[in-house]
Amino acid sequence: MSATRAVPRPDVASAARQTLLLVQWQFRRQSQFLPLMVVVQAFMAVATVVGYGLLVGDPDPLTALYLATGAPTITLITIGLVLTPQLLSQSRTEGSLDWLRTLPVPRTAFLVSDLLVWTLLALPGMVLGVLVGVWRFDVDLTLAPWLVPATLLVSLTAASVGYAMAALLPPALAQLLTQALVFVVLLFSPVSYPAERMPAWLQDAHAWAPIEPMAQLVRAGLASDTFTLPGRSLAVLLAWCAAAVVGAVLALRKRA
Amino acid sequence: MGTDVLLSVRGLRKRYRGRTGVQANDGIDLDVAPGQVVGLLGHNGAGKTTLVHQVVGLVRPDAGTITLGGVDAVAHPEVARRKVSIQAQANVPITGLTPRRAIELVGRIRGGDRAAVARRTEDLLDALDLGAWADTRAEKVSGGVARLTSFAMTAVQPGALVVLDEPTNDVDPVRRRLLWAQIRGLADAGHAVLLVTHNVREAERVVDHLAVLDHGVVLASGTPAGLTGTLRGSLTLEVDLPHDGPVTWHPAVDPGASGRLRATGTVPAGRAPEVVAWAQDEVDAGRLERYALTPASLEDVYVRLVGEDRAAEEVAA
Repeated sequence: MSATRAVPRPDVASAARQTLLLVQWQFRRQSQFLPLMVVVQAFMAVATVVGYGLLVGDPDPLTALYLATGAPTITLITIGLVLTPQLLSQSRTEGSLDWLRTLPVPRTAFLVSDLLVWTLLALPGMVLGVLVGVWRFDVDLTLAPWLVPATLLVSLTAASVGYAMAALLPPALAQLLTQALVFVVLLFSPVSYPAERMPAWLQDAHAWAPIEPMAQLVRAGLASDTFTLPGRSLAVLLAWCAAAVVGAVLALRKRA
Repeated sequence: MGTDVLLSVRGLRKRYRGRTGVQANDGIDLDVAPGQVVGLLGHNGAGKTTLVHQVVGLVRPDAGTITLGGVDAVAHPEVARRKVSIQAQANVPITGLTPRRAIELVGRIRGGDRAAVARRTEDLLDALDLGAWADTRAEKVSGGVARLTSFAMTAVQPGALVVLDEPTNDVDPVRRRLLWAQIRGLADAGHAVLLVTHNVREAERVVDHLAVLDHGVVLASGTPAGLTGTLRGSLTLEVDLPHDGPVTWHPAVDPGASGRLRATGTVPAGRAPEVVAWAQDEVDAGRLERYALTPASLEDVYVRLVGEDRAAEEVAA
Protein backbone atom coordinates (compact mmCIF):
# COMPACT_ATOMS: atom_id res chain seq x y z
CA MET A 1 0.00 0.00 0.00
CA SER A 2 3.07 2.19 -0.06
CA ALA A 3 2.40 3.41 -3.61
CA THR A 4 -0.96 4.80 -2.61
CA ARG A 5 -0.15 8.42 -1.97
CA ALA A 6 1.40 8.94 -5.39
CA VAL A 7 -1.49 10.81 -6.95
CA PRO A 8 -0.68 11.23 -10.66
CA ARG A 9 -0.27 14.72 -12.02
CA PRO A 10 -2.67 15.61 -14.80
CA ASP A 11 -0.06 15.92 -17.53
CA VAL A 12 -0.45 14.99 -21.17
CA ALA A 13 1.61 11.81 -20.87
CA SER A 14 -0.49 10.40 -18.07
CA ALA A 15 -3.71 11.42 -19.85
CA ALA A 16 -2.52 9.55 -22.96
CA ARG A 17 -1.60 6.54 -20.86
CA GLN A 18 -5.00 6.58 -19.18
CA THR A 19 -6.71 6.87 -22.56
CA LEU A 20 -4.93 3.76 -23.84
CA LEU A 21 -5.77 1.88 -20.65
CA LEU A 22 -9.42 2.84 -21.10
CA VAL A 23 -9.24 1.57 -24.69
CA GLN A 24 -7.94 -1.69 -23.29
CA TRP A 25 -10.77 -1.75 -20.75
CA GLN A 26 -13.40 -1.18 -23.46
CA PHE A 27 -11.89 -3.70 -25.88
CA ARG A 28 -11.62 -6.40 -23.26
CA ARG A 29 -15.13 -5.76 -22.00
CA GLN A 30 -16.48 -6.13 -25.53
CA SER A 31 -14.12 -8.97 -26.40
CA GLN A 32 -16.90 -11.53 -26.57
CA PHE A 33 -18.83 -9.56 -29.18
CA LEU A 34 -15.93 -7.91 -30.98
CA PRO A 35 -15.63 -10.52 -33.75
CA LEU A 36 -19.38 -10.42 -34.27
CA MET A 37 -19.39 -6.61 -34.43
CA VAL A 38 -16.62 -6.60 -36.99
CA VAL A 39 -18.48 -9.21 -39.05
CA VAL A 40 -21.74 -7.23 -38.87
CA GLN A 41 -19.95 -4.04 -39.88
CA ALA A 42 -18.27 -5.78 -42.79
CA PHE A 43 -21.59 -7.30 -43.78
CA MET A 44 -23.28 -3.89 -43.73
CA ALA A 45 -20.56 -2.36 -45.85
CA VAL A 46 -20.78 -5.16 -48.40
CA ALA A 47 -24.59 -5.15 -48.30
CA THR A 48 -24.65 -1.42 -49.03
CA VAL A 49 -22.61 -1.95 -52.17
CA VAL A 50 -24.27 -5.13 -53.39
CA GLY A 51 -27.79 -4.13 -52.28
CA TYR A 52 -27.73 -0.74 -53.96
CA GLY A 53 -26.34 -2.49 -56.99
CA LEU A 54 -29.47 -4.63 -57.11
CA LEU A 55 -31.69 -1.56 -56.76
CA VAL A 56 -30.13 0.32 -59.64
CA GLY A 57 -29.45 -2.64 -61.96
CA ASP A 58 -26.55 -2.07 -64.30
CA PRO A 59 -25.22 1.34 -63.32
CA ASP A 60 -23.35 3.76 -65.55
CA PRO A 61 -19.72 4.42 -64.51
CA LEU A 62 -20.48 7.58 -62.50
CA THR A 63 -23.36 5.96 -60.57
CA ALA A 64 -21.11 2.98 -59.94
CA LEU A 65 -18.41 5.23 -58.56
CA TYR A 66 -20.95 6.88 -56.25
CA LEU A 67 -22.05 3.48 -54.97
CA ALA A 68 -18.53 2.18 -54.46
CA THR A 69 -17.37 5.30 -52.61
CA GLY A 70 -20.59 5.73 -50.61
CA ALA A 71 -20.37 2.41 -48.83
CA PRO A 72 -17.38 3.24 -46.59
CA THR A 73 -19.00 6.54 -45.59
CA ILE A 74 -22.15 4.70 -44.59
CA THR A 75 -20.11 2.28 -42.49
CA LEU A 76 -18.33 5.12 -40.69
CA ILE A 77 -21.51 7.08 -40.09
CA THR A 78 -23.56 4.15 -38.82
CA ILE A 79 -20.82 3.11 -36.41
CA GLY A 80 -20.52 6.64 -35.08
CA LEU A 81 -24.15 7.62 -35.03
CA VAL A 82 -25.69 4.28 -34.11
CA LEU A 83 -23.26 1.93 -32.40
CA THR A 84 -21.55 4.56 -30.25
CA PRO A 85 -24.78 5.92 -28.72
CA GLN A 86 -26.17 2.40 -28.27
CA LEU A 87 -23.14 1.28 -26.31
CA LEU A 88 -22.96 4.50 -24.34
CA SER A 89 -26.68 4.18 -23.46
CA GLN A 90 -26.03 0.61 -22.42
CA SER A 91 -23.17 1.64 -20.17
CA ARG A 92 -25.36 4.38 -18.66
CA THR A 93 -28.14 1.88 -18.00
CA GLU A 94 -25.89 -0.78 -16.47
CA GLY A 95 -24.24 1.85 -14.29
CA SER A 96 -20.68 1.56 -15.49
CA LEU A 97 -20.57 5.08 -16.94
CA ASP A 98 -21.23 6.71 -13.56
CA TRP A 99 -18.56 4.61 -11.94
CA LEU A 100 -16.03 5.27 -14.70
CA ARG A 101 -16.71 8.96 -14.24
CA THR A 102 -15.57 8.74 -10.61
CA LEU A 103 -12.07 7.80 -11.83
CA PRO A 104 -9.40 10.52 -11.88
CA VAL A 105 -9.34 10.61 -15.67
CA PRO A 106 -9.72 13.75 -17.83
CA ARG A 107 -13.24 13.75 -19.28
CA THR A 108 -11.85 14.03 -22.82
CA ALA A 109 -10.02 10.71 -22.29
CA PHE A 110 -13.38 8.90 -22.20
CA LEU A 111 -14.37 10.45 -25.51
CA VAL A 112 -11.01 9.83 -27.17
CA SER A 113 -10.80 6.22 -25.96
CA ASP A 114 -14.30 5.42 -27.20
CA LEU A 115 -13.57 7.07 -30.54
CA LEU A 116 -10.41 5.02 -30.91
CA VAL A 117 -12.30 1.82 -30.17
CA TRP A 118 -15.05 2.56 -32.68
CA THR A 119 -12.71 3.76 -35.39
CA LEU A 120 -10.62 0.61 -35.08
CA LEU A 121 -13.82 -1.43 -35.20
CA ALA A 122 -15.03 0.36 -38.31
CA LEU A 123 -11.81 -0.08 -40.26
CA PRO A 124 -12.15 -3.69 -41.46
CA GLY A 125 -15.69 -3.11 -42.74
CA MET A 126 -14.67 0.07 -44.43
CA VAL A 127 -11.74 -1.48 -46.27
CA LEU A 128 -13.80 -4.49 -47.25
CA GLY A 129 -16.59 -2.23 -48.50
CA VAL A 130 -14.15 -0.41 -50.77
CA LEU A 131 -12.69 -3.66 -52.12
CA VAL A 132 -16.11 -5.16 -52.82
CA GLY A 133 -17.19 -1.93 -54.50
CA VAL A 134 -14.19 -1.99 -56.79
CA TRP A 135 -14.80 -5.62 -57.65
CA ARG A 136 -18.58 -5.40 -58.10
CA PHE A 137 -18.70 -2.22 -60.19
CA ASP A 138 -15.31 -2.49 -61.78
CA VAL A 139 -14.33 1.08 -60.96
CA ASP A 140 -10.85 2.56 -60.70
CA LEU A 141 -10.02 4.42 -57.52
CA THR A 142 -7.32 7.03 -57.06
CA LEU A 143 -6.56 7.38 -53.37
CA ALA A 144 -5.69 10.85 -52.13
CA PRO A 145 -2.73 11.10 -49.75
CA TRP A 146 -4.99 12.63 -47.09
CA LEU A 147 -7.51 9.78 -47.16
CA VAL A 148 -6.57 8.46 -43.71
CA PRO A 149 -6.87 11.75 -41.79
CA ALA A 150 -10.08 12.45 -43.73
CA THR A 151 -11.60 9.16 -42.59
CA LEU A 152 -10.56 9.94 -39.04
CA LEU A 153 -12.30 13.30 -39.25
CA VAL A 154 -15.49 11.67 -40.53
CA SER A 155 -15.30 9.01 -37.85
CA LEU A 156 -14.61 11.56 -35.11
CA THR A 157 -17.50 13.79 -36.14
CA ALA A 158 -20.02 10.97 -36.48
CA ALA A 159 -19.02 9.41 -33.17
CA SER A 160 -19.04 12.74 -31.32
CA VAL A 161 -22.51 13.58 -32.58
CA GLY A 162 -23.67 10.13 -31.49
CA TYR A 163 -21.88 10.48 -28.17
CA ALA A 164 -23.40 13.85 -27.39
CA MET A 165 -26.86 12.51 -28.28
CA ALA A 166 -26.48 9.48 -26.03
CA ALA A 167 -25.05 11.52 -23.18
CA LEU A 168 -27.71 14.22 -23.24
CA LEU A 169 -30.89 12.31 -24.13
CA PRO A 170 -32.69 9.63 -22.11
CA PRO A 171 -31.38 6.20 -23.24
CA ALA A 172 -34.66 5.04 -24.81
CA LEU A 173 -35.03 8.23 -26.85
CA ALA A 174 -31.40 8.11 -27.95
CA GLN A 175 -31.89 4.55 -29.24
CA LEU A 176 -35.02 5.46 -31.19
CA LEU A 177 -33.42 8.54 -32.70
CA THR A 178 -30.31 6.70 -33.80
CA GLN A 179 -32.43 4.04 -35.47
CA ALA A 180 -34.36 6.72 -37.34
CA LEU A 181 -31.05 8.27 -38.34
CA VAL A 182 -29.91 5.06 -40.02
CA PHE A 183 -32.84 5.36 -42.40
CA VAL A 184 -32.04 8.97 -43.15
CA VAL A 185 -28.40 8.12 -43.79
CA LEU A 186 -29.12 5.06 -45.92
CA LEU A 187 -31.92 6.43 -48.07
CA PHE A 188 -32.35 10.17 -47.77
CA SER A 189 -28.79 11.41 -47.82
CA PRO A 190 -26.61 12.18 -50.83
CA VAL A 191 -24.04 9.53 -49.91
CA SER A 192 -24.41 6.83 -52.53
CA TYR A 193 -26.05 9.07 -55.14
CA PRO A 194 -25.63 12.69 -56.27
CA ALA A 195 -27.47 15.40 -54.32
CA GLU A 196 -29.28 16.62 -57.44
CA ARG A 197 -31.63 13.63 -57.27
CA MET A 198 -33.14 14.89 -54.03
CA PRO A 199 -35.92 17.48 -53.79
CA ALA A 200 -34.61 21.04 -53.41
CA TRP A 201 -35.68 21.42 -49.77
CA LEU A 202 -33.82 18.27 -48.79
CA GLN A 203 -30.76 19.51 -50.68
CA ASP A 204 -30.97 22.74 -48.69
CA ALA A 205 -31.23 20.85 -45.44
CA HIS A 206 -28.23 18.71 -46.30
CA ALA A 207 -26.22 21.82 -47.13
CA TRP A 208 -26.12 22.46 -43.37
CA ALA A 209 -26.04 18.87 -42.11
CA PRO A 210 -22.77 16.96 -41.67
CA ILE A 211 -23.68 13.89 -43.75
CA GLU A 212 -23.14 15.29 -47.25
CA PRO A 213 -19.75 16.82 -46.40
CA MET A 214 -18.68 13.48 -44.91
CA ALA A 215 -19.67 11.69 -48.10
CA GLN A 216 -17.92 14.29 -50.25
CA LEU A 217 -14.76 14.03 -48.22
CA VAL A 218 -14.54 10.24 -48.43
CA ARG A 219 -15.55 10.26 -52.10
CA ALA A 220 -12.87 12.82 -52.99
CA GLY A 221 -10.36 10.86 -50.93
CA LEU A 222 -11.11 7.59 -52.72
CA ALA A 223 -11.59 8.88 -56.28
CA SER A 224 -9.57 12.07 -56.31
CA ASP A 225 -9.52 12.08 -60.15
CA THR A 226 -13.27 12.43 -60.42
CA PHE A 227 -14.41 14.26 -57.30
CA THR A 228 -13.21 17.31 -55.41
CA LEU A 229 -14.18 18.55 -52.02
CA PRO A 230 -15.85 22.00 -51.98
CA GLY A 231 -14.22 24.28 -49.42
CA ARG A 232 -17.61 25.08 -47.96
CA SER A 233 -18.27 21.41 -47.22
CA LEU A 234 -15.02 21.12 -45.32
CA ALA A 235 -15.93 24.20 -43.31
CA VAL A 236 -19.38 22.78 -42.48
CA LEU A 237 -17.85 19.46 -41.47
CA LEU A 238 -15.18 21.07 -39.29
CA ALA A 239 -17.83 23.22 -37.61
CA TRP A 240 -19.93 20.12 -36.85
CA CYS A 241 -16.89 18.27 -35.61
CA ALA A 242 -15.91 21.09 -33.25
CA ALA A 243 -19.47 21.55 -31.99
CA ALA A 244 -19.98 17.81 -31.47
CA VAL A 245 -16.70 17.31 -29.62
CA VAL A 246 -17.43 20.29 -27.37
CA GLY A 247 -20.98 18.99 -26.81
CA ALA A 248 -19.77 15.50 -25.96
CA VAL A 249 -17.14 16.77 -23.52
CA LEU A 250 -19.63 19.13 -21.88
CA ALA A 251 -22.07 16.24 -21.56
CA LEU A 252 -19.38 14.18 -19.85
CA ARG A 253 -18.56 17.04 -17.49
CA LYS A 254 -22.20 17.70 -16.64
CA ARG A 255 -23.11 17.36 -12.98
CA ALA A 256 -26.63 16.37 -11.98
CA MET B 1 -9.83 15.15 14.78
CA GLY B 2 -9.23 18.88 14.74
CA THR B 3 -6.88 20.10 12.07
CA ASP B 4 -6.08 16.86 10.30
CA VAL B 5 -9.57 16.32 8.88
CA LEU B 6 -9.36 15.14 5.27
CA LEU B 7 -12.98 15.39 4.17
CA SER B 8 -15.06 18.14 5.62
CA VAL B 9 -18.69 18.61 4.57
CA ARG B 10 -20.68 21.59 5.81
CA GLY B 11 -24.33 22.46 5.30
CA LEU B 12 -24.63 20.32 2.18
CA ARG B 13 -27.98 20.60 0.42
CA LYS B 14 -29.18 18.99 -2.78
CA ARG B 15 -32.66 18.85 -4.20
CA TYR B 16 -33.37 16.85 -7.36
CA ARG B 17 -35.71 18.72 -9.62
CA GLY B 18 -38.43 16.98 -11.55
CA ARG B 19 -41.90 15.74 -10.78
CA THR B 20 -41.00 14.11 -7.48
CA GLY B 21 -38.52 16.81 -6.40
CA VAL B 22 -36.65 14.93 -3.69
CA GLN B 23 -34.66 16.87 -1.09
CA ALA B 24 -31.85 14.30 -0.99
CA ASN B 25 -29.47 16.20 1.30
CA ASP B 26 -30.86 18.78 3.68
CA GLY B 27 -27.91 20.37 5.45
CA ILE B 28 -25.31 17.66 6.10
CA ASP B 29 -22.21 18.18 8.25
CA LEU B 30 -19.61 15.42 8.23
CA ASP B 31 -15.88 15.02 8.89
CA VAL B 32 -13.55 12.15 8.04
CA ALA B 33 -9.93 12.13 9.19
CA PRO B 34 -7.02 10.03 7.90
CA GLY B 35 -6.73 6.73 9.75
CA GLN B 36 -10.41 6.77 10.61
CA VAL B 37 -13.34 4.64 9.49
CA VAL B 38 -16.49 6.73 9.57
CA GLY B 39 -19.74 4.86 9.17
CA LEU B 40 -22.67 6.53 7.46
CA LEU B 41 -25.84 4.70 8.43
CA GLY B 42 -29.16 5.23 6.80
CA HIS B 43 -31.99 3.47 5.02
CA ASN B 44 -32.40 3.47 1.23
CA GLY B 45 -33.12 6.99 0.07
CA ALA B 46 -31.63 8.64 3.16
CA GLY B 47 -29.28 10.61 0.89
CA LYS B 48 -26.09 8.53 1.21
CA THR B 49 -25.35 8.06 -2.48
CA THR B 50 -26.18 11.69 -3.29
CA LEU B 51 -23.65 12.76 -0.68
CA VAL B 52 -20.98 10.49 -2.18
CA HIS B 53 -21.68 11.66 -5.74
CA GLN B 54 -21.23 15.26 -4.68
CA VAL B 55 -17.83 14.50 -3.19
CA VAL B 56 -16.53 13.27 -6.57
CA GLY B 57 -18.28 15.88 -8.68
CA LEU B 58 -20.96 13.77 -10.36
CA VAL B 59 -23.67 15.82 -8.64
CA ARG B 60 -23.52 19.55 -7.96
CA PRO B 61 -24.72 20.68 -4.52
CA ASP B 62 -27.33 23.45 -4.23
CA ALA B 63 -25.64 24.82 -1.13
CA GLY B 64 -22.88 23.99 1.31
CA THR B 65 -19.19 23.21 1.05
CA ILE B 66 -17.08 20.10 0.53
CA THR B 67 -13.40 20.43 1.37
CA LEU B 68 -11.07 17.57 0.57
CA GLY B 69 -7.50 17.86 1.75
CA GLY B 70 -7.84 21.63 1.81
CA VAL B 71 -9.25 21.81 -1.73
CA ASP B 72 -12.76 23.03 -2.57
CA ALA B 73 -14.16 19.84 -4.14
CA VAL B 74 -17.21 21.59 -5.60
CA ALA B 75 -15.09 24.06 -7.56
CA HIS B 76 -12.41 21.52 -8.51
CA PRO B 77 -14.03 18.11 -9.00
CA GLU B 78 -11.06 16.87 -11.03
CA VAL B 79 -8.75 17.48 -8.05
CA ALA B 80 -11.23 15.79 -5.73
CA ARG B 81 -11.38 12.70 -7.97
CA ARG B 82 -7.63 12.26 -7.69
CA LYS B 83 -7.97 12.08 -3.92
CA VAL B 84 -10.93 9.70 -3.74
CA SER B 85 -11.56 6.12 -4.74
CA ILE B 86 -15.09 4.83 -4.67
CA GLN B 87 -16.79 1.48 -4.47
CA ALA B 88 -20.25 2.12 -5.87
CA GLN B 89 -23.35 0.55 -4.40
CA ALA B 90 -24.05 -1.35 -7.61
CA ASN B 91 -21.29 -3.64 -8.81
CA VAL B 92 -19.29 -2.23 -11.67
CA PRO B 93 -20.07 -4.40 -14.70
CA ILE B 94 -16.86 -6.13 -15.73
CA THR B 95 -18.17 -8.77 -18.11
CA GLY B 96 -15.45 -9.75 -20.53
CA LEU B 97 -12.75 -9.18 -17.91
CA THR B 98 -11.45 -11.42 -15.13
CA PRO B 99 -11.35 -10.10 -11.55
CA ARG B 100 -7.55 -9.91 -11.68
CA ARG B 101 -7.54 -8.04 -15.01
CA ALA B 102 -10.21 -5.60 -13.84
CA ILE B 103 -8.41 -4.85 -10.57
CA GLU B 104 -5.08 -4.36 -12.33
CA LEU B 105 -6.50 -2.13 -15.07
CA VAL B 106 -8.21 0.14 -12.56
CA GLY B 107 -5.04 0.33 -10.47
CA ARG B 108 -3.09 1.44 -13.52
CA ILE B 109 -5.77 3.87 -14.69
CA ARG B 110 -5.54 5.40 -11.21
CA GLY B 111 -1.86 6.01 -11.89
CA GLY B 112 -0.27 2.95 -10.29
CA ASP B 113 2.95 1.48 -11.62
CA ARG B 114 2.41 -1.84 -13.43
CA ALA B 115 4.56 -4.04 -11.18
CA ALA B 116 3.34 -2.47 -7.94
CA VAL B 117 -0.27 -2.82 -9.04
CA ALA B 118 0.24 -6.48 -9.97
CA ARG B 119 1.71 -7.17 -6.53
CA ARG B 120 -1.02 -5.33 -4.68
CA THR B 121 -3.68 -7.12 -6.76
CA GLU B 122 -2.17 -10.48 -5.86
CA ASP B 123 -2.13 -9.49 -2.17
CA LEU B 124 -5.76 -8.40 -2.24
CA LEU B 125 -6.88 -11.54 -4.08
CA ASP B 126 -5.10 -13.59 -1.41
CA ALA B 127 -6.37 -11.57 1.51
CA LEU B 128 -9.98 -11.84 0.30
CA ASP B 129 -9.57 -15.53 -0.58
CA LEU B 130 -10.44 -14.89 -4.23
CA GLY B 131 -7.54 -16.89 -5.68
CA ALA B 132 -9.82 -19.54 -7.14
CA TRP B 133 -11.82 -16.94 -9.08
CA ALA B 134 -9.02 -14.53 -9.98
CA ASP B 135 -8.72 -15.66 -13.58
CA THR B 136 -12.32 -16.67 -14.22
CA ARG B 137 -14.32 -14.49 -16.59
CA ALA B 138 -16.59 -12.14 -14.69
CA GLU B 139 -19.83 -13.50 -16.18
CA LYS B 140 -19.11 -16.81 -14.41
CA VAL B 141 -18.45 -15.51 -10.88
CA SER B 142 -21.03 -15.20 -8.09
CA GLY B 143 -22.44 -11.94 -6.75
CA GLY B 144 -20.28 -12.13 -3.66
CA VAL B 145 -17.09 -12.54 -5.67
CA ALA B 146 -18.15 -9.67 -7.94
CA ARG B 147 -18.71 -7.51 -4.84
CA LEU B 148 -15.27 -8.34 -3.45
CA THR B 149 -13.70 -7.68 -6.86
CA SER B 150 -15.34 -4.30 -6.89
CA PHE B 151 -13.88 -3.63 -3.41
CA ALA B 152 -10.44 -4.66 -4.62
CA MET B 153 -10.78 -2.34 -7.63
CA THR B 154 -11.27 0.47 -5.11
CA ALA B 155 -8.51 -0.62 -2.74
CA VAL B 156 -5.82 -1.52 -5.28
CA GLN B 157 -4.63 2.07 -5.66
CA PRO B 158 -6.69 3.80 -2.98
CA GLY B 159 -7.11 7.56 -2.81
CA ALA B 160 -6.49 9.51 0.38
CA LEU B 161 -10.25 9.07 0.91
CA VAL B 162 -11.82 5.68 0.25
CA VAL B 163 -15.61 5.57 -0.01
CA LEU B 164 -17.26 2.17 0.30
CA ASP B 165 -20.97 1.96 -0.42
CA GLU B 166 -22.42 -1.25 1.10
CA PRO B 167 -19.22 -3.28 0.59
CA THR B 168 -20.50 -6.42 2.35
CA ASN B 169 -23.66 -6.98 0.29
CA ASP B 170 -23.84 -10.55 -1.08
CA VAL B 171 -20.54 -11.50 0.59
CA ASP B 172 -20.46 -14.79 2.52
CA PRO B 173 -19.83 -14.66 6.31
CA VAL B 174 -16.28 -16.00 6.12
CA ARG B 175 -15.13 -13.55 3.46
CA ARG B 176 -17.00 -10.75 5.21
CA ARG B 177 -14.53 -11.04 8.06
CA LEU B 178 -11.63 -10.90 5.61
CA LEU B 179 -13.21 -7.87 4.01
CA TRP B 180 -13.67 -6.05 7.33
CA ALA B 181 -10.00 -6.70 8.09
CA GLN B 182 -9.04 -5.12 4.76
CA ILE B 183 -11.25 -2.10 5.41
CA ARG B 184 -9.68 -1.64 8.82
CA GLY B 185 -6.28 -2.10 7.17
CA LEU B 186 -6.93 0.79 4.78
CA ALA B 187 -7.57 3.10 7.73
CA ASP B 188 -4.56 1.79 9.62
CA ALA B 189 -2.41 2.58 6.56
CA GLY B 190 -3.53 6.21 6.87
CA HIS B 191 -6.46 6.41 4.49
CA ALA B 192 -9.68 8.09 5.51
CA VAL B 193 -12.51 5.60 5.01
CA LEU B 194 -16.15 6.58 4.61
CA LEU B 195 -18.29 3.47 4.97
CA VAL B 196 -21.85 3.74 3.75
CA THR B 197 -24.01 0.92 5.04
CA HIS B 198 -27.20 -0.20 6.65
CA ASN B 199 -25.59 -3.27 8.10
CA VAL B 200 -25.60 -1.71 11.55
CA ARG B 201 -24.47 -4.77 13.48
CA GLU B 202 -21.31 -5.46 11.55
CA ALA B 203 -20.32 -1.83 11.09
CA GLU B 204 -20.39 -1.33 14.85
CA ARG B 205 -17.22 -3.39 15.28
CA VAL B 206 -15.16 -1.61 12.64
CA VAL B 207 -16.05 2.07 12.68
CA ASP B 208 -14.43 4.75 14.82
CA HIS B 209 -17.16 7.25 14.29
CA LEU B 210 -20.74 7.07 13.09
CA ALA B 211 -23.26 9.38 11.53
CA VAL B 212 -26.91 8.39 11.22
CA LEU B 213 -28.52 9.90 8.14
CA ASP B 214 -32.27 10.20 7.68
CA HIS B 215 -34.19 12.30 5.18
CA GLY B 216 -30.99 14.04 4.15
CA VAL B 217 -30.08 15.13 7.67
CA VAL B 218 -27.51 13.77 10.14
CA LEU B 219 -29.71 12.76 13.09
CA ALA B 220 -26.88 11.80 15.39
CA SER B 221 -23.15 11.31 15.25
CA GLY B 222 -20.49 10.07 17.61
CA THR B 223 -18.48 7.01 18.53
CA PRO B 224 -20.39 3.70 18.71
CA ALA B 225 -19.96 3.73 22.50
CA GLY B 226 -21.11 7.33 22.74
CA LEU B 227 -24.19 6.66 20.66
CA THR B 228 -25.19 3.60 22.66
CA GLY B 229 -24.44 5.49 25.88
CA THR B 230 -28.03 6.63 26.20
CA LEU B 231 -29.09 3.02 26.31
CA ARG B 232 -26.42 1.93 28.79
CA GLY B 233 -28.03 0.14 31.68
CA SER B 234 -30.70 -1.37 29.50
CA LEU B 235 -30.90 -4.68 27.71
CA THR B 236 -32.80 -5.82 24.67
CA LEU B 237 -35.26 -8.69 24.98
CA GLU B 238 -35.98 -10.59 21.78
CA VAL B 239 -38.80 -13.10 21.66
CA ASP B 240 -40.05 -15.54 19.02
CA LEU B 241 -43.78 -16.24 19.08
CA PRO B 242 -45.49 -19.52 18.24
CA HIS B 243 -48.34 -17.65 16.52
CA ASP B 244 -49.17 -14.18 15.19
CA GLY B 245 -50.46 -11.66 17.63
CA PRO B 246 -49.45 -9.15 20.28
CA VAL B 247 -47.21 -10.13 23.20
CA THR B 248 -48.40 -9.58 26.71
CA TRP B 249 -45.13 -8.21 28.06
CA HIS B 250 -43.87 -8.31 31.62
CA PRO B 251 -44.52 -4.84 33.17
CA ALA B 252 -40.76 -4.10 33.27
CA VAL B 253 -40.46 -4.40 29.48
CA ASP B 254 -40.72 -1.33 27.28
CA PRO B 255 -42.18 -2.69 24.01
CA GLY B 256 -40.18 -2.04 20.85
CA ALA B 257 -40.39 -3.24 17.25
CA SER B 258 -42.57 -6.20 16.46
CA GLY B 259 -43.00 -8.21 13.32
CA ARG B 260 -44.47 -11.51 12.25
CA LEU B 261 -43.74 -14.09 14.96
CA ARG B 262 -41.11 -11.82 16.47
CA ALA B 263 -40.95 -8.91 18.90
CA THR B 264 -38.38 -6.93 20.85
CA GLY B 265 -38.49 -4.74 23.91
CA THR B 266 -36.11 -2.91 26.25
CA VAL B 267 -35.46 -4.02 29.81
CA PRO B 268 -33.70 -2.05 32.59
CA ALA B 269 -30.63 -4.09 33.57
CA GLY B 270 -31.68 -4.15 37.25
CA ARG B 271 -34.94 -5.94 36.46
CA ALA B 272 -33.39 -8.49 34.11
CA PRO B 273 -33.66 -11.44 36.59
CA GLU B 274 -37.42 -11.15 37.03
CA VAL B 275 -37.93 -10.66 33.29
CA VAL B 276 -35.86 -13.77 32.55
CA ALA B 277 -37.94 -15.71 35.08
CA TRP B 278 -41.13 -14.42 33.42
CA ALA B 279 -39.87 -15.28 29.93
CA GLN B 280 -38.91 -18.80 31.00
CA ASP B 281 -42.41 -19.30 32.42
CA GLU B 282 -43.91 -18.06 29.15
CA VAL B 283 -41.77 -20.54 27.19
CA ASP B 284 -42.81 -23.38 29.52
CA ALA B 285 -46.45 -22.36 29.06
CA GLY B 286 -45.99 -22.39 25.27
CA ARG B 287 -46.77 -18.70 24.82
CA LEU B 288 -43.21 -17.97 23.59
CA GLU B 289 -41.00 -20.11 21.31
CA ARG B 290 -37.72 -18.73 22.62
CA TYR B 291 -36.22 -15.57 24.08
CA ALA B 292 -32.85 -13.85 24.23
CA LEU B 293 -31.50 -11.02 26.33
CA THR B 294 -28.68 -8.97 24.76
CA PRO B 295 -26.89 -5.69 25.54
CA ALA B 296 -28.41 -2.65 23.86
CA SER B 297 -26.79 -2.37 20.45
CA LEU B 298 -26.23 0.30 17.91
CA GLU B 299 -29.10 -1.24 16.02
CA ASP B 300 -31.42 -0.30 18.90
CA VAL B 301 -30.11 3.27 18.79
CA TYR B 302 -30.57 3.36 15.03
CA VAL B 303 -34.12 2.04 15.34
CA ARG B 304 -34.97 4.67 17.93
CA LEU B 305 -33.50 7.44 15.80
CA VAL B 306 -35.03 6.73 12.42
CA GLY B 307 -38.33 5.38 13.68
CA GLU B 308 -39.35 1.81 14.10
CA ASP B 309 -41.51 1.28 11.05
CA ARG B 310 -38.88 2.13 8.53
CA ALA B 311 -36.03 0.62 10.49
CA ALA B 312 -37.93 -2.67 10.76
CA GLU B 313 -38.12 -3.02 7.00
CA GLU B 314 -34.54 -1.87 6.46
CA VAL B 315 -32.79 -3.87 9.15
CA ALA B 316 -34.70 -6.98 8.16
CA ALA B 317 -33.73 -6.52 4.51
